[in-house]
Amino acid sequence: MKNTNIKFLLFTLIVLVSSCADSFLDKEPISGFSAKGFYKNASDAQAGVYGIYNSMQSAFRQNFALWGEGRADAVSTNQAGDPLALTQNDLTPVMQSARWDNLYTVISRANYAIKYIPQVFDSEEGTLRNQLIGQARALRAIAYFYAVRVWGDVPLIVEPFESVQQDIFSTRTNQEAVLDMIEEDLLYASTYCADNYTGARNRVILTKGGADAFLTQVYMWRKKYQDAIDAAERVIESPYYSLVSMQDWNKIFTDGMSNESIFEVGYNEIQTNALRVIYALGSDSYYFPSLAFRSTFEDGDLRRTRIYDVTQTAPRKIWKFFGEGFNDESPDPSSNNIVLVRLADIILLKAEAHANLNEPDLALPLLNQIRRRAGLDNLDLSGSTALYGDLASAVLHERAVELCYEGHRWFDLVRTGKVVEVMGPINEISDTRNFVWPIHEDIINRNPNIDQNEFYK
Amino acid sequence: MSLETNPKISLSPKRNQAIIRWVALVAFNFLLFHSVLAQTRTVSGRITDGQTGLAISGVSVVVKDGAQGVSAGQNGEYSIPGVADNAVLVFSILGYSTQEISLNGRSVLNVSLQSSSNEIEETVVVGYGRQKKRNLTGSIVSVNSEEIEKTALQDPISILQGRAAGVQITSNSGAPGSEMTIRVRGSSSLNSGNNPLFVVDGIPIESGSMSNLNGTEGFGLNPLAAINPGDIESIEILKDAASTAIYGSRAANGVVMITTKRGAEGKAIVDVNLTTGVSELTRRLSVLNATQYRQAIIDSYNNMDNPEEPFWTILDSLSATNNGDVDWQSELMRVAPQYKVDLSIRGGSKTTQYAWSTSYLDQDGIILNSNFKRLTSRLNTDFNITDKLKIGQSISYTNALNNRINAAGAGNLSVIRELLVRPPIMSMYLPDGSLNGYSLGRRNPVGIAKYATNLNKSNRIIGSQYLEYQIIPDLIFRSNLNFDFTSMKEDEFMPTILDYREGYNTGAVRSSTNMNWGSESFLRYTKTVNQDHNFGALLGFSLQSWRYDRTGLNGMFFPSDNIRTLNAAGTISNKDANGVDINVASEHAMLSYFGRASYDYQGKYLGEINLRSDGSSRFGRQKRFGYFPSASVGWRFSQEDFFNANVVNDGKIRFSVGKTGNEAIGDYTSQGEFVVGANYLDFSGAAPTVMPNEGLTWETTTQYNAGLDLAFFANRITFTTDLYIKNTDDLLYDVPIPTTTGFGSFMQNIGSIQNRGAEFLLTTKNISREKFSWATNLNISLNRNKVLSLPENLLTNGYIQNGAYHILQEGLPIGVFYGWRFDGVYARDEDNVNAITHGALGPLFKGGDPIWHDLNGDDFITPDDRQIIGMAEPKFFGGFGNDFTYKNFALNVFFQFSYGNDIYSAINQERNSIVRYNNLSADALNRWREQGDVTNYPKPVRDDPKQTDSRVSSRWVEDGSYIKLKNVNLRYTFANSLVNRIGLRKVDAFVTGTNLITWTKYTGFDPDVNSFSGLRVGVDQGSYPQSRMFIFGLNIGL
Repeated sequence: MKNTNIKFLLFTLIVLVSSCADSFLDKEPISGFSAKGFYKNASDAQAGVYGIYNSMQSAFRQNFALWGEGRADAVSTNQAGDPLALTQNDLTPVMQSARWDNLYTVISRANYAIKYIPQVFDSEEGTLRNQLIGQARALRAIAYFYAVRVWGDVPLIVEPFESVQQDIFSTRTNQEAVLDMIEEDLLYASTYCADNYTGARNRVILTKGGADAFLTQVYMWRKKYQDAIDAAERVIESPYYSLVSMQDWNKIFTDGMSNESIFEVGYNEIQTNALRVIYALGSDSYYFPSLAFRSTFEDGDLRRTRIYDVTQTAPRKIWKFFGEGFNDESPDPSSNNIVLVRLADIILLKAEAHANLNEPDLALPLLNQIRRRAGLDNLDLSGSTALYGDLASAVLHERAVELCYEGHRWFDLVRTGKVVEVMGPINEISDTRNFVWPIHEDIINRNPNIDQNEFYK
Repeated sequence: MSLETNPKISLSPKRNQAIIRWVALVAFNFLLFHSVLAQTRTVSGRITDGQTGLAISGVSVVVKDGAQGVSAGQNGEYSIPGVADNAVLVFSILGYSTQEISLNGRSVLNVSLQSSSNEIEETVVVGYGRQKKRNLTGSIVSVNSEEIEKTALQDPISILQGRAAGVQITSNSGAPGSEMTIRVRGSSSLNSGNNPLFVVDGIPIESGSMSNLNGTEGFGLNPLAAINPGDIESIEILKDAASTAIYGSRAANGVVMITTKRGAEGKAIVDVNLTTGVSELTRRLSVLNATQYRQAIIDSYNNMDNPEEPFWTILDSLSATNNGDVDWQSELMRVAPQYKVDLSIRGGSKTTQYAWSTSYLDQDGIILNSNFKRLTSRLNTDFNITDKLKIGQSISYTNALNNRINAAGAGNLSVIRELLVRPPIMSMYLPDGSLNGYSLGRRNPVGIAKYATNLNKSNRIIGSQYLEYQIIPDLIFRSNLNFDFTSMKEDEFMPTILDYREGYNTGAVRSSTNMNWGSESFLRYTKTVNQDHNFGALLGFSLQSWRYDRTGLNGMFFPSDNIRTLNAAGTISNKDANGVDINVASEHAMLSYFGRASYDYQGKYLGEINLRSDGSSRFGRQKRFGYFPSASVGWRFSQEDFFNANVVNDGKIRFSVGKTGNEAIGDYTSQGEFVVGANYLDFSGAAPTVMPNEGLTWETTTQYNAGLDLAFFANRITFTTDLYIKNTDDLLYDVPIPTTTGFGSFMQNIGSIQNRGAEFLLTTKNISREKFSWATNLNISLNRNKVLSLPENLLTNGYIQNGAYHILQEGLPIGVFYGWRFDGVYARDEDNVNAITHGALGPLFKGGDPIWHDLNGDDFITPDDRQIIGMAEPKFFGGFGNDFTYKNFALNVFFQFSYGNDIYSAINQERNSIVRYNNLSADALNRWREQGDVTNYPKPVRDDPKQTDSRVSSRWVEDGSYIKLKNVNLRYTFANSLVNRIGLRKVDAFVTGTNLITWTKYTGFDPDVNSFSGLRVGVDQGSYPQSRMFIFGLNIGL
């Protein structure tokens, strides 16, 4: 009897345990998805694309300034680390701005979206489907465009990584091939993205105009002037973009979502960026206006007092993004949107393209449109030659003032071949191979297939 | 080992007398044993209670292997005629342990019996049962309730500090109720899963910090603080694989078994304990005053390569915000009171036993406004339903309220850092009388302490029920059902008076629940054959499941600082500062089978094997189950015939080997993760964040242990030593992968770590007299940790950077500091004879600049010149206790020590950095000022391009060795005759001093510091300082 008892007990236990074992140990994520369980319907597709913008916030929160201004002539710094190394042209493979991690996060998320969005829509013709793919491709293109300008050849990855079985040790691709892919992505976006958004999505979501604006930048980078003019034309003629008045000029940056803005990375009180730390922390900020920059203004330029703290003989604050008189020592992050591309940029790029195609009559009105807003007189060809050497240089100077600190100056210098002329006297840069950044040593250490850039070997 | 050899025994006078009597008795027997004559006589005597000395009536006295037997009378007296001289008498009665005593020719034999709750044959708690301590073949260290009582500490972990060999405990913070770091035999994991498993009354419980707000380092809460030390009967720490393998996949870091007091048959025993006391800062650190500070700032500008005008507001002594000369330490530190009331009632009948207790603690921290309140309540019951069926339960409830101070938070939120580095010139109040809440990028720390909210409220219920059925006399079936439920709510608020922006205030709320439940069932078999062969077996299975839920919101722009609930917030978000969604739920489950078989022959030859198999939901489907075996043997050589037991009266050697595991990774890591909440502005987004790895499995630790137990001179000296080697393989590590994949890392099983060590425990009874006794115990532990292998592709320049101060490198221990070596200060410009520069293109080092060791001799100071500059692991550590009794006084003096460890003092680095206009330590008065100054303190330089202040360097590595007079407890027990007269059972009064004196070279607040949990050991980042505590207490028993 007792024996039977035991046997019965044991038997019951064993049956009980083995019957529930497997299901007991199956635990699916509750508040998220397993890696392969996400893209199921249209709202997932939308969320996946917003996830790409989310990574844009990290990618550009401070690098837009380090990459676009750090090595150029408008900034000075007292900050050890990246800011000092960049202004002194003492780039090392350990500097923060030598990392491309955040850009590849954008690319990876875009690759997921581009692969999986088609699976959740029945028809290939759906407007939303194509808009979402267009945005994903445009964002991927923007990330790659920064990557090739900063490092030259970079791994071109257009498929998502979903398992360790894939070869994760990618090699670098010739930058022309990457630029071809960028154009292809942007052309798709230019065709399929929405014309415009209103409300909360205004300016912070990629549109046709955004794609065309970046196309203009890409074509200018590749010196495809006629293509650039065509793309710029589409932007300028769009009803959604117009120059703001001078008194609203700072509001492009302080308030965001202006009519002049074409695409800006959105931030808010929680999703923040480093603008204040970069430009306006007083004695401790990354950057303050260089003497060269302060001396570059023409008399009567209404923008001067809107750009930096003119009350100090050695100004330490850049007011452009915070408004005149801004005075605060807080190292807290900022909630301003970061404007990546705006109409004045495209107008001046078009002017530059015309100048390079020797079409001064088409270039000058565009240049003067920007000058007049800043309270400056119209320039004619001889005037611009007298002041700046030639028309293209006059446009470049105008870009230096109008678009200062927005992350364009270094790329403008590289694009127009003026790096050595402008920066040579400042930090002795002379070797064209030095124009790209080193690749961060951590990237090389993690991937034996990545070679350091020639100059930094 | 028997009772009197136990170092943890209480030396209350009464008890002690009993022991002495017993020892004398045993010794006496020994001496007479060989001169026995075979005669018969009448034996008589008196039987008393070993504890109270009162007579026991009704004790059965029988002659072993004989026919005679009597029952003792009312006054405990007995008399048996016709007993052989060499006979053995057996004394037994319910509630007392049975004693067998050889007569050895005596005719008068007075006996004192020990109540069975204080059994002579001491047992220790092991996995799924108890074991006689003398029969242990594994390595277990035990701390009992009497030892706990001496400390007057408020959580079980700090009690163990220094008292358990092989267990290293460091304080992450000195705040009441805060987290501590516990390492049993070293760190064996790279993945932060280095905490031991905690088992309370057989229930594995949650032991990680469950705090959600400001989860920054040094700010975690100690979940074990939910347990009232007064309820604890004993704490056992299982160290070797033989002891831990029964807990399989979670046991690689050791197991801490906490057993609470249960009721025993007898009259209700009521205990009331009252304690009250104060704590205070142990040491103040000196800083510059306003004048000295201003001069240092002026110097820092003058020392620039292109000197600049100092930032004007700093120097303007007329500025309303900068005209102070405030001693911030005095403003923030206080003498903090605490009190505690414990009430317990224990007792029972033959069928029902109960232990009921409740306790309230109110403890102020030494920083303004920090406070910890805890209410605990416990009920343990046991019911003997029939002879064979027994059921029972343990249930405890804890309500804790922790008013925290942001001590180690980032930036200007850390009160501790701010109280040391806040410029003294910053005034406390503005001319209009309002608080100077914010100026020059700094929040007022007094304001943070007084006006910011950082409150943690928790409710925790730990409960278990069991059913035990005796199937046949030797076979018991037991089933437990248990749960551990914690509900926590946290509130945070930063008022606008502490911000520079008008109307800018922030608030946050977090609410979380942890629900863990489990069920265990097992069969336990014990059998003794022919009195010599003892068999034991255990077979069982268990299920366990964990669920974690968290909800919360962050808000800002509250219209008033007075309404701090989130309904008032102007902007509300469900994202934390890093943009990660606050609201989350997660689950984890485990299914296990376990078994044990043991055998011993006369307690002389001992052997045991264990096997556990665990399946965890955290691992890939094919890799879910892991197997964790262990085996151990022991030999009591002192029992062999050839052994001469004159000097060594007991001796045993032990060996064990076994495997244990570690599953401390995210619940869903192996499945990969696609998180929702990767939002863009107000639009919901989702993003892939973790790549799946279906092949992921446990870390496995293989441990070898050899031990020796010796007792000399009838247990007057006992010595225990253990040697071990612990190899951990298949380390779970988040391996960095090329970021072109879109992912930064990928969890894999890689690499291995070794810990080797030795533990020594020596107890001696130096003096044992009727009125005066002195006993000591000393434990010393050594652990040598070494990283054996790391995967090639992980290594940057041959190592992995582990946080800012440490590296991980093959062949080196976890916890080596890596940075530049500081060789002093150039007295003159010319002293830099090699024209060493900062980097290849950077500025030249001049007079007043630090001399950095140019390791590779290239005349540039670069990251390549970094080297190993210190080691956080101590050469040895331990504790040394002394117990004295004199008449009714008992004195415990306990020292704790650690030798050979370095501390990286990040707080000293911060308070000697001119960055952000920090105030400097008083050392800065010795700074280099002009050419030719010979000093070790470099010149302060504003915006220093040579990075004097920011380098991780040997300048901040200090010797962290210390000896600490950790605890002194003086207790007076009132005489029974006096106490009984007023109707009480016992009364004793005590005073305890904690952390009284520390001998150390360390210049921070306290060398017992470890700001980061996890692998970044030995860093002082400005944690909440340890306090010195004086407590007075009264124990009254009814």
